[in-house]
Amino acid sequence: MTIADLNNGDAFKVKRVVLGREIGKRLADMGFVPGAAGKVVRSALLGDPLQVKICYYDISLRRKEASGVEIEPEGSQPSGMSKLGKRGGGG
Amino acid sequence: MSKVITIALAGNPNTGKTSLFNAITGSHQKVGNYAGVTVEKREGVRLYRGYEFRVFDLPGIYSLTAYSLDEVVARDFIIDEKPDLVVDVIDSTNIERNLYLCLQFQELRVPIVAALNLDDEAAGRGIRIDDKRLSEILRMPVVRTVGVKGYGVEWLLDRAIQVFETKSPTDYPVSYGAELEDTVGSILRELQRDAAFAGKYPMHWFAVKLLEKDARAIELLSGHRQADAVKKVVCDCIRKIEEHFGRDAAVVVAEQRYGYIHGAVAEAVRREPLGRETVTEVFDKFLLDRFLGLPVFLLILWLMFQITFKIGAYPMGWLEAFFSGLGAWVSAIMPAGLLRSLLVDGVIAGVGGVTSFVPLIILLFLFISILEDSGYMARSAFIMDKFLHVFGLHGQSFLPMIIGFGCSVPAVMAARTLKNTRDRIITVMVMPFMSCGAKLPVHVLLAGAFFGAHAGSVVLSIYIIGVALALFSSLLFRATVLRGESTPFVMELPPYRMPTLKGILWHVTDKTTRYLQKAGMVLLPASVLIWALTTFPKMPADPAGDVILLGSLRSQIEQDKLPGSGVAVEEMRLSAEARQRLAEMRSREALAFSYAGRMGKAMEPLLSPLGFDWKIGISAVTGLAAKEMVVSTLGVLYKVGAVDRHKGESLREALRKDPVFTPLVAYVLMLFTLIVVPCLASLSAMYAEIGWRWVAFAVCYWSVLAWVLCFLVYQGGRMMGWGL
Ligand SMILES: Nc1nc2c(ncn2[C@@H]2O[C@H](COP(=O)(O)OP(=O)(O)O)[C@@H](O)[C@H]2O)c(=O)[nH]1
Repeated sequence: MTIADLNNGDAFKVKRVVLGREIGKRLADMGFVPGAAGKVVRSALLGDPLQVKICYYDISLRRKEASGVEIEPEGSQPSGMSKLGKRGGGG
Repeated sequence: MSKVITIALAGNPNTGKTSLFNAITGSHQKVGNYAGVTVEKREGVRLYRGYEFRVFDLPGIYSLTAYSLDEVVARDFIIDEKPDLVVDVIDSTNIERNLYLCLQFQELRVPIVAALNLDDEAAGRGIRIDDKRLSEILRMPVVRTVGVKGYGVEWLLDRAIQVFETKSPTDYPVSYGAELEDTVGSILRELQRDAAFAGKYPMHWFAVKLLEKDARAIELLSGHRQADAVKKVVCDCIRKIEEHFGRDAAVVVAEQRYGYIHGAVAEAVRREPLGRETVTEVFDKFLLDRFLGLPVFLLILWLMFQITFKIGAYPMGWLEAFFSGLGAWVSAIMPAGLLRSLLVDGVIAGVGGVTSFVPLIILLFLFISILEDSGYMARSAFIMDKFLHVFGLHGQSFLPMIIGFGCSVPAVMAARTLKNTRDRIITVMVMPFMSCGAKLPVHVLLAGAFFGAHAGSVVLSIYIIGVALALFSSLLFRATVLRGESTPFVMELPPYRMPTLKGILWHVTDKTTRYLQKAGMVLLPASVLIWALTTFPKMPADPAGDVILLGSLRSQIEQDKLPGSGVAVEEMRLSAEARQRLAEMRSREALAFSYAGRMGKAMEPLLSPLGFDWKIGISAVTGLAAKEMVVSTLGVLYKVGAVDRHKGESLREALRKDPVFTPLVAYVLMLFTLIVVPCLASLSAMYAEIGWRWVAFAVCYWSVLAWVLCFLVYQGGRMMGWGL
């Protein structure tokens, strides 16, 4: 499952970046590393790009890039080092 | 003599780096470019406690890879210029991602002082940073700062002096975990076989870069005596890592860095849950709403345009009045002659041309700075990205392109927000197709003269064709000269912040001076050149010619049945009118005789397939100086008096009478003005952003496209029988 499969408002935990090369590296540089917690905040008008919360900040990704990040959907119990606010945001 | 300490100011974008740089250096700054590239190089000086601090503001970056020009520039600066220390500006609200860059400076073994900026904002969000603990763990001095208030700057400088004087060791405890350190170790051993090479760069860093498959590091490796042996070891290591972790080695390195950071942060940073939404979350709900987002953005744009061009028209008018007044005054006090003509028509007109844009630039950049500093700019790119991506453009191209409808000069300068070189080049090259404000008088004149009631729709069609051409050209460039993977749209959406007056004013002054420096350098000489082209060679004073002119004038007056002709009482008026007519005819003859006229005539064979004659050729030449000049040149050529917009009616009349002009030719000329090479002011702005090679390429592209399209429309139109 990847970030692109999530709905707005869904929280996740990164499993790994499967994209290689430039873009995979860039995503890892920006904090998409195993265990990092995040949330899909909303999508733009035509469903693309996505606004994603990761490591305490917001980033925008196109679906194409989002589909390169494998994740595990997060239930209600936040855990690990990056507890993110579970309130609000969802569109 | 005071000791000099060179500081490289580095950090992620939106961390308050500019604010801190200004707080440190005050107004003692100068701006240039890094050698050979268009990345801005900003340098400032500060005297403090007997030391002279030379501060270099590096571009805002997230990492030190070789993918973006900004990152390469930053990293080359550290390696080649060897600053005494790096001040790394860190956004305290987002410390993990910011430390990621910091760690890479540590790998470079350069002395670092970390500035925990935005300290006030972090406190407001319940983030507690134990700076002493953090400093111990990361073994570097850490200072809290608030860039906008200048708070903490002196502590920062004190720490810098301390680091400088004690030559603090830079054996930072960065560690990538057991598996990775093993492989790094074996690469390291291989690298160290060439002692001379090993002395050049920090080798641990270099080994890691090779694992990351960094293009620049691989390039540099060719300087190693046993490059092939090293490469082989590196390849083995990469394969081992990728087998072990099941993903790209470069990604693994990034993960290990974050692992190390999380360890450090867990010990030194506490986050108290806020229990409420942040301001940014609340604003985003509205401004990024799926359905509201776009209309709100368009409304903001509309307001920006209205205010800029409505309000900007006043000071623009004053400046124009001032310079034409100045010209008139100089004409009055100086004897007629070449020098006066040079001063009035060349220099004063040129300076007037440069300065008349200034109010627009100031106002546009006022808005752009507010949008940028508040954090909204990135959101507008988020909203627009999908629409532009289809055409190979980037969400951030949208705003500059819209500004292009006003004036290409600030639009091209605004394209600097595009960090990717390819995107920036494309955006700049399609900019002239966004029909600018100066082209409007041309469209209005021609449409008004030949399309009567349909003038409005005709002008609109030109705008639409312009947008279509911009999108088409962008696709074309993407498919040909600027091919390559489309830029990923991985863009931070920074928190909203209240822009400060100081920050905004600084941006505006900065941009305006840059415009004056750059455009002025080109526009003024260009204006003198155009003056020379239209003035020389002088027509020989020719009384006999005047007699002939007068003769033709007389017969024309009779033909025209001028009001009052033949009536004795109005003889005086006639002669005054005749004298004016004579002067007009002579200036027309002079223009035809000049180099510009000859160029126009020489171009005629090229232009006649488009339905144009030499007069239109001249207008194309003078239109280079400024697009409105097309109208005034036509004015001179059609003997209705120079540079006078209020005489529009008589010019329209004269154009209609010329058998060369048909509605079809008029439309083709509008198209031609839209597509052909833009004015010199925008060319010089483009040169500053994308370099002369691309500008030269673009000039060819625009010219060819203009010709081909106009040819097709004209010949096609004639075949359809529209030209008659
Ligand atoms: N509250 C607060 N705002 C800051 C601070 N430093 C900068 N800002 C604001 O953050 C925004 C971005 O600052 P700027 O200096 O342009 O950041 P840069 O992109 O890193 O150069 C501006 O609106 C600044 O006014 C700070 O320490 N505290």
